[in-house]
Amino acid sequence: MDEAAFRHLYQRTARPLRAYLMRSCGDLALADDFLQEAYLRMLRSGFEGEDDDHRKNYLYRIATNLLRDHFRRKRPESVQVPGRDESPSHDEAVHLRSDVGGAMAELAPRDQQMLWLAYVEGASHNEIAKALGLRTASIRSMLFRARQRLAKQLQARGLRPELEVS
Amino acid sequence: MNTKPCSQEEAVTAAVRSGDWSPELKAHRDGCLTCAELTLVVAALAADAEELAAMDAPLPDPAPIWLRAHLASRERQYHRATRAIVWVQRAAVAIACAIGIAFAPGLWELVSGAFSGLDLSMSAPDLPRSAGSPLLVLVVSLLVLGGLALWELTAAQEN
Repeated sequence: MDEAAFRHLYQRTARPLRAYLMRSCGDLALADDFLQEAYLRMLRSGFEGEDDDHRKNYLYRIATNLLRDHFRRKRPESVQVPGRDESPSHDEAVHLRSDVGGAMAELAPRDQQMLWLAYVEGASHNEIAKALGLRTASIRSMLFRARQRLAKQLQARGLRPELEVS
Repeated sequence: MNTKPCSQEEAVTAAVRSGDWSPELKAHRDGCLTCAELTLVVAALAADAEELAAMDAPLPDPAPIWLRAHLASRERQYHRATRAIVWVQRAAVAIACAIGIAFAPGLWELVSGAFSGLDLSMSAPDLPRSAGSPLLVLVVSLLVLGGLALWELTAAQEN
């Protein structure tokens, strides 16, 4: 991959990838670190990919591995984001205070990542399985349960399907 | 209402994303808990993603990422290219050590004998012969070369 191709890929994928990282780790500075590390690892691996989508999936896989390592190092309770009535001091807290951010933060990191990949990135079950290191056959039921948990959290925050659709 | 995976999930997901609901699909969603939940989740995540992607915070500059990857790649190429040289240096050090150990007991006698028999009035090309032992010349040469290889090796590792 030459520099122009890399810049094109970065321009196309960096913002959504950062949104994914940000929503999962809840910290803008950390998300930016992971973002740079993901691209660096991709370049170092020499991965060319068949097309931009292939490269994008590979990037998300690296990013998910970085997140997994991050959550392994941290104690589960320490990844919880501040509650709605607490007063966080960072810029990213603006987003964490939002209803969806708060609801997502109640889920396990793997559920968050699975839901994001499926419903924001439109990844297939096979792609999700590869990114999360799971069996493809398990994804359907795991996704279903994760979705139920998120829906419950959203409903607890007063969000209803009709409100979202209209 | 249905609380199990539904066959309409793909169609509902597509409709939430596009906002294009057929009356039948909308009626189905209203009667299916799975699809109602799916609608809520997909719409909420889409809104959240949009909000996060539109953040004002600038993205990290890609130039340093490219530069770091490029430097790492050059370093890998350098190590690949010099791998054979490093192995030869290691072999030279190992041979020098083996020779040093093998000849250590009699080395002092060889050296003192060589110096006593050395005739400094002879021409330079004849000096090794005057030292009396070609073996000594060989051993000393190999030890010097081994020392040089070791020095090179440690200097390369420090860099």
